[in-house]
Amino acid sequence: MNLQSSPRTGGANGEPMRELEDRLSLSLKAAGAVGSWSWDIPGRLLHLDARLARFQGIEPAEAATGLPVARFFTAIHAEDAPRIKVAVGGMLRGAEVFFKSYRMLAPDGSMRWVEAHGRCLFDEHDRPERFTGVLVDITARQRIEERLRIAQTAGGVGTFEFVPGLGTASVSEQFCRLLGLEPAPVIAVAAVNAVLAAGERPLLEGRPLRVLQDAEYRIVRPDTGEQRWIARRGEVLPDSEGSGARQIGVIFDITDLKRTQHELNELNRNLETRVEQEIQSRQQIEERLRQSQKMEAIGQLTGGIAHDFNNLLTVIIGNVDMARRRLGGGGDERVERALANALKSSERAAALTQRLLAFSRRQPLEPTSVNVGRLVGGMFDLLNRSLGEQIEIKTWFDPDLWSVEVDTNQLESAILNLAVNARDAMGWQGLVTIRAENRTVVDAGEGEDLGNGDYVVLSVADTGQGMPADVIGRAFEPFFTTKEVGKGTGLGLSMVFGFVRQSGGDVRITSAPGQGTTVELLLPRSGAPAMESGNAEAQGAARLARSATVLIVEDDADVRTFAAEGLREMGLNVVEAGSGEEALALLDRPEPAIDLLLTDVVMPGMTGRDLVDVARQRRPDLPVLYMSGYPGEVMAENGRLGPGVVLLSKPFTMQALAARVSEMLEWAGPG
Amino acid sequence: MSVADTIELSELEQDALTEVVNIGVSRAALALRKMVGEHVLLSVPSVEVLSRQRAATLLVQQGGDELVAIKQSFTGAFSGGAMLIFPQSRSLELVRAVTGPEMSHEEIVEIEQEALTETGNVILNSCLATMANMLKQPLTMSIPHIIKGDGSDLLTQVGEEGDVGLVLFLYITFTVRERDLRGYIAMMMNMSSLLALKQLLGAFIDETMGEEL
Repeated sequence: MNLQSSPRTGGANGEPMRELEDRLSLSLKAAGAVGSWSWDIPGRLLHLDARLARFQGIEPAEAATGLPVARFFTAIHAEDAPRIKVAVGGMLRGAEVFFKSYRMLAPDGSMRWVEAHGRCLFDEHDRPERFTGVLVDITARQRIEERLRIAQTAGGVGTFEFVPGLGTASVSEQFCRLLGLEPAPVIAVAAVNAVLAAGERPLLEGRPLRVLQDAEYRIVRPDTGEQRWIARRGEVLPDSEGSGARQIGVIFDITDLKRTQHELNELNRNLETRVEQEIQSRQQIEERLRQSQKMEAIGQLTGGIAHDFNNLLTVIIGNVDMARRRLGGGGDERVERALANALKSSERAAALTQRLLAFSRRQPLEPTSVNVGRLVGGMFDLLNRSLGEQIEIKTWFDPDLWSVEVDTNQLESAILNLAVNARDAMGWQGLVTIRAENRTVVDAGEGEDLGNGDYVVLSVADTGQGMPADVIGRAFEPFFTTKEVGKGTGLGLSMVFGFVRQSGGDVRITSAPGQGTTVELLLPRSGAPAMESGNAEAQGAARLARSATVLIVEDDADVRTFAAEGLREMGLNVVEAGSGEEALALLDRPEPAIDLLLTDVVMPGMTGRDLVDVARQRRPDLPVLYMSGYPGEVMAENGRLGPGVVLLSKPFTMQALAARVSEMLEWAGPG
Repeated sequence: MSVADTIELSELEQDALTEVVNIGVSRAALALRKMVGEHVLLSVPSVEVLSRQRAATLLVQQGGDELVAIKQSFTGAFSGGAMLIFPQSRSLELVRAVTGPEMSHEEIVEIEQEALTETGNVILNSCLATMANMLKQPLTMSIPHIIKGDGSDLLTQVGEEGDVGLVLFLYITFTVRERDLRGYIAMMMNMSSLLALKQLLGAFIDETMGEEL
């Protein structure tokens, strides 16, 4: 840069000289220069051009003739003056390049940022001779740079500028800080890319690009070893120096964003899983509900049929029975055989309805507190005989097994049922394992048929062929069987199910084809200790007598007549009523005093139960014997009847009726 | 803490150091001009005083790992080592700038070492001689030699400079035949030398401030 203005010399060539100066002044102005100076070092004189002189508040004419060199510093801001003095000191002592920016105060008091570009010229002995240069006003640029710097710092944005092919890039301080590098204006491309985590694409790409795509990088800060996320945005601009395309861009830290994003994704994923689980659980609940409703409906249907069927059977059995007894021993043998066959078939029919009732949970239960282990132990012979020699039976019982409150006869029948199913599933050979253990259910879900609480789990497991899921789903339905025609009724598991549910428990089947089957009975724990199972006393034939009076209430005339006739035959007084209302009227009469109320349960109008409620209000100690094929109606919770109340299941034989009636009257007839 | 915290150069002292080195490199430029017969311009825009570790990091960061340095040791009023450092990729360019465009690539490769050593010697000698002149005390300088390696290779080779903790780190712009080449001058000094330098800079500041202009 050789921009010194010559001192005015005047004389003949003054005009061209002035012209030259004007042109120089114009071009300086066009270049944004404030003005130029020329410092004659040996002559100790400072020349300023007209513009710079005016800028410093000096008469241009005076400045052109030469000023004391100290005037160089007059307009310089006090804070910048010392370092400019040091720099000028260097120039006067042999330094060649002067490049400084500093503040100057204009005559109007306004402050301007200027950039001074100066050079020193040497004489033939290499001694500094002339120090010349121009001042450029950079106030506007400074402001923009200041704004840019603040924007970068405040926004945490670092800038870079890079021409592919070069080994270094120009960067901002913030750029270095974001990457954990020492702040420097120029930085090796390799050093920038070295902070990237393994496997990342380069942040500054050495090959020429047409566009700079938005990108995100994982970095490992070299200063702290910390892993961070950095985003890059930018553009590719044609390089003014013609050496290809210039990549200009910014980087900023997006670690927090990434972290939040990650957490959000995690949360979403969890949410999806939770919703899926919830839907699945809902579906399971719905399925269970549907199944349980189906079973309930089937139960009601079965129970209803069994009820009516029992009434019919009662009459059939009663009449056949009576016919046999009337014939005595002296009748036609063939007639007697026919009657015996009829009775046998009727009893088989009765047994069938009994099982249907068991499934429909409408059988009368007589629960007692029992130890399941001891009960199974007592059945061992029976089980061995039923299962045959080819099947091994193993048992295991928790030594501290809780007792349960169930009807022992029904439980025995259930176990036998399961054992026989196991035998059939194994083709008569294999292993049956019967276990009993305590289990506390604490997480019975919504829609579960079982509540939280203590249970004894009795399980019967076989090594047989197992069942697919669709078969398990229908296993409890009455008349559903996988056995060959004639081999099973399809009532076994339904009875077990009905019984266990009526006892407040649940049945669970675990099975898969080829994996064997395990049936678990969950029976609620009993509060009372187990009673030693005493054998039910054999009840002798009833021998009834004298003048006890029985009130029979039954809407079915045939059944009523059958029962009444039977009781009269035993020597009892019998009063008959066709409905509850009629019965109440009879009860209110003083004579005859009623000693026992024998009533049907399901009747039009007042039910047997309503009748008993009213009657008991009047006669709290009145013994009540229900006869019903549909006992659900009379039972209190858990299948129990009240005190002084007994149930006679329809259909019944005369002997059974007589035995119950005499039992209840606590009265033995004459021998 | 490091030595960098025990001896500090004020901003003005750093400016003064920049100027002293500027005077030195300007002398070197005059010398090179005579050698090359071309206009050579050397300038040092700024100086940084860094711990050896930071200086090494900065060098690695800025030059990657391939650097070439011309190193000279000095003893006298102050002792230490001085290095002129360029990226290795630029060293041939520097040689070509100095020797001119007539030489073939093979010829340049052949004289690379010699040309670099000579250039470095001129620049470093001028800087150190300027300082010695200002102190008006002699400095003895060793024969220059060339080192190659990364930033820490160059700066951790402890030589005669002894307990070096601080590195005076200067950017240098080298303009020959319209081409700009950027490099660094690193000066490593021990504590007593730094104190001597600080005095020198103080005197320089006083002189320029009180100058009857």
